[in-house]
Amino acid sequence: MSQPRRLRVALAGNPNAGKSTVFNALTGSHQHVGNWPGKTVEKKEGSFRYRDLWVDIIDLPGTYSLSAYSPEERIAQEFITQEHPDVVVNVVDASNLERNLYLTAQLLEIGVPLIIVLNMTDVAEQLGYKIDVARFSQLLGVPVIPAVASKGEGMEVLREYLYQAAQDPSQFAPPHALVQYEHEMERSVRQLTEALQGLSDLQGYQPRWLAVKLIEGDTQAHDIVAHAPGGDEVLALLDKIMDKLRRTYGEDVDIVLADARYGFVRGLTRQVLTLPKQPPRTLSDRIDQIVTNRWLGIPLFLFLMYLMFNLVQRVSAPYMDWIDSLFSGPVPQWTLAALHALHAPDWLSSLVVDGAIAGVGSVLVFVPSLMVMFFALAFMEDSGYLARAAFVMDKMMGFLGLNGRAFIPMILGFGCNVPAVYATRTIENRGARILTGLLIPFMSCSARLPVYVVFGMAFFGAKAGLVVWSLYLIGIATAAIAGWALARWVFPEVHQSVFVLELPRYRLPTWQGLWLHTWEHTSEFVRKAGTVILGISVLLWFLLNLPWGVTDPRESYFGRVSGALAPVFEPAGFGTWQAAGALVSGFVAKEVVISTMSQIYVGEQEARMGESATPLNWREDARAIVAGFLEATRDAGKAFLDVLTPGVSLFPHDEGAQRETALSRALHNAFTPLSAFAFLVYVLLYTPCAATIAAQAQEYGWRWAGFSVLLGLTTAWVLAVAVFQIGRLLGWG
Amino acid sequence: MTDRAMPLTMLPPGRAGRIVEIHAGQRLKQRLVGMGLAPGNTVQVLQDNGGPLLLAVGESRIALGRGMAHKILVQSVPLPTPRGEFAP
Ligand SMILES: Nc1nc2c(ncn2[C@@H]2O[C@H](COP(=O)(O)OP(=O)(O)OP(=O)(O)O)[C@@H](O)[C@H]2O)c(=O)[nH]1
Ligand SMILES: [Mg+2]
Repeated sequence: MSQPRRLRVALAGNPNAGKSTVFNALTGSHQHVGNWPGKTVEKKEGSFRYRDLWVDIIDLPGTYSLSAYSPEERIAQEFITQEHPDVVVNVVDASNLERNLYLTAQLLEIGVPLIIVLNMTDVAEQLGYKIDVARFSQLLGVPVIPAVASKGEGMEVLREYLYQAAQDPSQFAPPHALVQYEHEMERSVRQLTEALQGLSDLQGYQPRWLAVKLIEGDTQAHDIVAHAPGGDEVLALLDKIMDKLRRTYGEDVDIVLADARYGFVRGLTRQVLTLPKQPPRTLSDRIDQIVTNRWLGIPLFLFLMYLMFNLVQRVSAPYMDWIDSLFSGPVPQWTLAALHALHAPDWLSSLVVDGAIAGVGSVLVFVPSLMVMFFALAFMEDSGYLARAAFVMDKMMGFLGLNGRAFIPMILGFGCNVPAVYATRTIENRGARILTGLLIPFMSCSARLPVYVVFGMAFFGAKAGLVVWSLYLIGIATAAIAGWALARWVFPEVHQSVFVLELPRYRLPTWQGLWLHTWEHTSEFVRKAGTVILGISVLLWFLLNLPWGVTDPRESYFGRVSGALAPVFEPAGFGTWQAAGALVSGFVAKEVVISTMSQIYVGEQEARMGESATPLNWREDARAIVAGFLEATRDAGKAFLDVLTPGVSLFPHDEGAQRETALSRALHNAFTPLSAFAFLVYVLLYTPCAATIAAQAQEYGWRWAGFSVLLGLTTAWVLAVAVFQIGRLLGWG
Repeated sequence: MTDRAMPLTMLPPGRAGRIVEIHAGQRLKQRLVGMGLAPGNTVQVLQDNGGPLLLAVGESRIALGRGMAHKILVQSVPLPTPRGEFAP
């Protein structure tokens, strides 16, 4: 057999039409999908094999038309028009046919080989829409495949058509110019097309398409022609043509083109789509009446956020205790025993147990709370609520010079700042985009939660929950003030940004979808624990034990460097080398703050307790672990019911119980409640992690990333000092 | 019946209007047109809270900032539209 054949396929379509779902169904991968327009902001490649054919498939960001508006749309548009995929698969939302077909009309105009996937036919059917697929396909002269991508329906047929396309893609090129312009317009397009055909370098654009774009007034098309040799003459011709067209059609020449496309689309839908006689007032609209209501909208949003954070804290707590018990008992004990049996030197045992296990364990404890958090965020995304929250919060965002669109990345920032920064691509106004990216770090991401919880438990007992809440609010308030100031003095152009956002239909999230989201983010966190945090824990162990033989950690390399930095934090009440050291390593990732502290403070004495303890009993331990897990599950279930019935406590829980761990004992010696709170404020506000800086640099350039670091460091310092000093004046110190 | 054109913000909630004109830069206008907010199409205002408008355009629900809504001119048309899309 010869080389396997390859076919390059691009997935194009309106936002939220299900492109990524089709991509996943074909390639078996797990691209992010979500029920809000603008989920995919970067093209993603995948491939699959069908018989003797390799198909390379590119999932593009959604786009409403081939005129790019925001950066993520430009990615899609440029790929289709300039990179010439062999076939474009146009995913069309059958429940919103007319709007979706506007893009299809443009794809037909370019003349690329096209296959149409008529997705979401299940939704269309529910609404009582009937679509005549055979007629549809016949009218367009390209295949139309009815599908329910989320259930994999229609994918087999799509594979088969792609296989056919590989023989000769041109068989799927639309047969003739389907979109007809009015007489004079058509003549102008032709005239310009001919002139363009004479040019040599059109950067891959098709002359007729470029002619249409020129008449539309597209600046990018203009630039391309201006740069081509001989382009000046074409532009001169364009001016003449435009003068003539304006005399006929008035100023809005571009609208005449759009009219022609919609005319085509309306004609098409009339022939293939039958609407029910009595159009149902959809459930989605009825929910929206409440959710977006003038008086109810914001309280409802705040209540949902409250519910989410409560769930995160209460449901995860039992599991966190359980994991904690593993890492303070059986895991180090058994590891020590194993190392002992292997005759490992003492220093190695210390490195593994005090360094690696203590560091990684202190972070893994928080896996349950992150899972609940990501689950709740996934629920907001997949149900379609997230876009409503943006609608409801638009007015408030106005105070920061931003609009509702910027709210979606900000909310995502509570999960993790890194994807949130990438999500700003859906904001078309450059100033607004950067401003949002600068404010995201003030949204307290889930990696900061462990620090709050450890300190909260150690110092604030029953009020720990309140302290965590106040930190989230301080983050939001800081973002509001910083946003207001930056919009006023640094980004005056943001005030011109326009708020347009499509609100997708509500959908009951599937367990599978929710689990996928949750697992994806959680596994990322666990992976980080196994790589970055493990690496730093080991590195830290060395830095704490070098020069070799050092007994007082203060004299170690790490102690000396941190000691030099400590005075900076003196006015904020935590000018110790340990605190400074934890903040330095926390620059890499916030989880590291806790793992560093547990290494520095707890050090040797704790983990060694196991050695002298009762002889190890394998069965006993295993039984205790399983029993502990079951108990945790029971408690979590109770907490879940409790949270969902606010006000009534079905199961009284003892919040007052302070968890006495070695770390919390050590923290008590080093911090007062006031300095602990100041420390938390600092952790909240300074640079979230190295990955966020890298994402900012990629999206906005190094200068803005650097600015963000400075912004974080100064705000954090100023606020932490303010908290400590004011607190002291009030006599809380 | 040829009503005078008015800004979309003047259209009372629940009423429908046909878009006659959009005042916006080329790129923004193309985006709106792509979303269905095109001259000739019918829109209905679902919510007007003094903040952004919630619009029904065919099957889509679109949130549109007030500033932009001011610059879209519509003519009031009776409900339901010929295709019966917006019947309450
Ligand atoms: N009911 C139903 N839901 C679907 C179908 N296909 C996809 N979905 C859901 O529709 C939503 C959007 O799907 P995505 O694949 O993220 O859409 P997309 O086109 O990639 O969206 P962008 O990346 O924002 O452009 C998700 O919640 C999917 O689970 C379908 O055939 N039927
Ligand atoms: Mg996608």
